[in-house]
This record gives sequence, C-alpha cells and structure tokens, in this order.
Amino acid sequence: MRNSSNNRAEDRNKEVSSSSPATDSRFHQTLRNVQGLLKGRSFPGKILITQRSDPLDPSTLHSPNIDRRSPESDRDQSEQQDRSTEKDELQNRSSTNASSSVNNTKPSSTSSQSTSKEIPKSNVGARATDSARLMKFTKELSGSSVILEYLEGSIDTWSMADLSREKILNVEADSYWCLSKLLDGMQDHYTFAQPGIQRLVFKLKELVRRIDEPVLKHIEEQGLEFLQFAFRWFNCLLIREIPFSLVSRLWDTYLAEGDALADFLVYISASFLLTWSEKIRKLDFQEMVMFLQHLPTHNWTVVELEMVLSQAYMWHTMFNNSPSHLAG
Amino acid sequence: MGSYRADEDYDYLFKVVLIGDSGVGKSNLLSRFTKNEFSQQSKSTIGVEFATRSIQVDDKVVKAQIWDTAGQERYRAITSAYYRGAVGALLVYDVTRNVTFENVDRWLKELRGHTDSNIVVMLVGNKADLRHLRAISTDKAKAFAEKEHTFFMETSALEALNVENAFTEVLTSIYHVVSKKALDIGDDPLALPKGQTINIGNKDDVSAVKNSGCCSG
Repeated sequence: MRNSSNNRAEDRNKEVSSSSPATDSRFHQTLRNVQGLLKGRSFPGKILITQRSDPLDPSTLHSPNIDRRSPESDRDQSEQQDRSTEKDELQNRSSTNASSSVNNTKPSSTSSQSTSKEIPKSNVGARATDSARLMKFTKELSGSSVILEYLEGSIDTWSMADLSREKILNVEADSYWCLSKLLDGMQDHYTFAQPGIQRLVFKLKELVRRIDEPVLKHIEEQGLEFLQFAFRWFNCLLIREIPFSLVSRLWDTYLAEGDALADFLVYISASFLLTWSEKIRKLDFQEMVMFLQHLPTHNWTVVELEMVLSQAYMWHTMFNNSPSHLAG
Repeated sequence: MGSYRADEDYDYLFKVVLIGDSGVGKSNLLSRFTKNEFSQQSKSTIGVEFATRSIQVDDKVVKAQIWDTAGQERYRAITSAYYRGAVGALLVYDVTRNVTFENVDRWLKELRGHTDSNIVVMLVGNKADLRHLRAISTDKAKAFAEKEHTFFMETSALEALNVENAFTEVLTSIYHVVSKKALDIGDDPLALPKGQTINIGNKDDVSAVKNSGCCSG
C-alpha cells in the first residue's frame, strides 16, 4: 500500500506529496484528489494510461465502400453524451443529434488527435471523470471505427422501423463489437458454474467488510449470503436493479472502463449496496432478501445513479491499488 | 383455506423450493400465491428469488419461505445450493410443452440428491388454462406422480386455478409430518429444529393424489 496510488494522482495534480502511511491521511488525500476532480481541475492517472500513443489513421482502416462515421463525429458524440446526462440540456441534445447525423456519412480528414484537445473543454463538474474515460473510449472507437446511430426524441419512442436497412446492419455490427469488447474482460462470468461471478461476489463481500463492517456483521449474523442477491447484480451488470431509462448511463461507464470493468463492478455494487446501509442494518434475514431483490430504485434519476458511480470511483481509487486492504 | 397473516407471528417456518424447466411459470405461481399477482411479461429469474406467506393449518400459523429458482440449465450449479434445508418442493412443468415434463425426472433426481429423503414433493402441471394446447394428459402425469410417490396437481397461475390448493396441500402435509414427528419425539426440544428424521413415509401420498386430482383438464 503506502502511497503509490496517491503519487500517481499527485504527480498530475502537482500537489505536495504526503508520505504518511496513516489511513487517515491517505483517506484525506484521496478525498482531496476526488474533490479536485469534481472541480474539474485534474484527472486521475489511471484513466489516462494504457493509451495507444499513435492513433491509427482512420482512412487506412475504413474500406472506401463501407459507410463509417468519422472520428470527428465520434468526438461530437462524446460531447453529446457528456451533455446528455445534464437534464436541462436534454432539449438541445436532439437538435445536436440531428446535425451530427447529417455529417456522419461524410468522410473527414480530421485526425483523431483532435479528440485529445477536447479534454479541457469537457470537464463539467462531476462529469469530468467520465468524460476522461469517455475520451479514452472514443479514441478506441475511432481506431476500430464503431459508429453509433441516433434517433430523435426519447428512447421510449424509438422504433426499429425508423432506421434504414443499412443503418440497422451498422447498428447490428456495432452492437456485436461492443458486446464482444465488453465480454472480453469477463469471459468466465458466463462459463459453467460462472466462476467469474462467484469471484466477484467474494470480492464484494470483502470490500464491504473493509468499508462498512457493521453492515457486513449484520448480514452475516442474519445468515444472508451475498450470492443470494449479488449473483443477479453481476450476472446482469445491475441492469435489473435500476429503471431501464438509466441503463444507457450505466453502460457509458462500463464501456469506458473497458477491460477494468470486472474490478470496477465490485466497487459499483458495493456503493450500490451501501446506499441502503442504514436501512439494511434494521432488517432481518427475510426482509433483507426481499429488500435487496426489489430495491426501491423506481424513482431514481441520473442524479442517484451518478452518486453511486462517484462513490464507487472514490473507493476504487482508495482501495484498488492496495490489495492488502482487502485481505480480510 | 389459507389466510394472509402478519409476518411476525408464526408457529412453524417451512422452506419450500420451486423447481422445473425455464418458462414453466414458477415465478408466476409464487407471485400468485404470495401477492395474488400475475405478470404477462415477467423476466426470467436469475439465480434465486424469494417470497413468504403464512397460512393457517389447524390452529397453527405456518409460514412458508419459498425459494424460486432459475430453471435455466446454466444456473443449475448455483441454484442447487438452495435445496439445502428445504422440507417441501413444487416441481413444475408446463402442460403444453412435452420437454418440460420429460425433464421432471432429472429435476426429481437432483432434488433427491440434495435434500432429505422425507421432503414433501408435489408435481405441478402449470398452464392448465391452455386447454387447446395441452401436450401432457392428466392421467400420464398422475401415473408418474404415483410411481414416484409425489403429490400431483394441475394449476393455472393465470386463472388462479389450484395455486392456493397446491401450496396449501404441500404446507399442510409438511405440517402433519412435523407435528406427528413432534408427538413421536415427545418433549425433547432439541430434536425438532434439526429436522433430520422427519417421517412421512406412511403412504398417504397416493390417497393425496386421488383427493387432489383436479381441474377440468
């Protein structure tokens, strides 16, 4: 442990590095980093590493007769997705969508380098972490030439019938690409006996022990096994637990995490579970099973979901590079 | 028969599992029994789900803790862990789908491999409302149930047909086993909670099949 994880963030923050090993100061340092992040002043180190240094020129990748979206419009999309979670901007979202879909068929000579220039512009409040992740994702996308098609209006009114056959084929190919990219990092989640999920359930329990021991004690005393509720969480990547309209926001984070998703899922689930920490401590075994299998999220908006994700991110920063914290 | 009661006060708590192939209607049987609800677009169960309901048997309150398991093959390794401690099981098939009845044998083997041999089992042919689509005759299922010494009933979660009866029958039967056992072991308070030597092998099963033979089917 010590402060190796802090240092990376601090290097970027240009803040004075504290070498105290005490958990307290470590926590406060992390808190400061996160606060800095929330103000949009800095980006944590982890999300900017492992980046392809030399983005492939899209023109060499795209076969000329296949209609693919240019990196420039990918960038447009990342901006839109940043905005899309700001409620008050929902209105102009659809109009930007319209304009971007106009130029999405035109090849562009803009290099994908331009995406990195967007970083300073897109740090809007708590969205900064995700926009940085999104930037990473967008870069990956520009390399692999995935496109995202849009329809007007709310997702509830979308219909397959509004898309041309060609677009549907593109959507299908892109969906396949996204799914296989997502599954790359979690292949043994869906093999016999689902060992990957069992592993995450175990990790979740250890993480909860670390973060909120009273809750874990209560859960154990009542004889509730994490598998009894968290299996579905991991198996369905939490989409069963929140309103469908929020799923795309959640998946933004998933796709941005890439190969690190399986680990991050544990933190999201811990954050999700501990949203109801106080409530859970008052429930007995049966009440807990039923509560956890039907969590009161029907009225959730992006605000509640982003609280969960932010908290998850904070814990991830605190604990993930310090496995001894989680040794039980 | 059964009536809804407050959750807190009960004399007996019985764990019951719902098993059977994917899509036979286990979750809807459960929601019909515990909430009197039926959903046309229910999602497939992942892992296990859980609900409870208390009913009155004689002058006692019997609380059922019912575990609804996923029927899909891929979850088998996880869901079989939930058989432990079960004193009752509803093994459900779909009367319109032959394959779900063919698999009953496998489910029964798995159940018996994981539970006490005295577990009360009821074979349940669900979706009995789909009369024009029926693929499994009542007689065929009844014969199978008699051979395997299980109870048998045909139900419709959609029409709320026999759902109450099926659960109540199983719970009552467990209750009789347990209270008979309680008489056998006298006042030893430690013997009962272990629940290991419940004896239900008095062949009332067959008559139960006859009594409960059901619906128009």
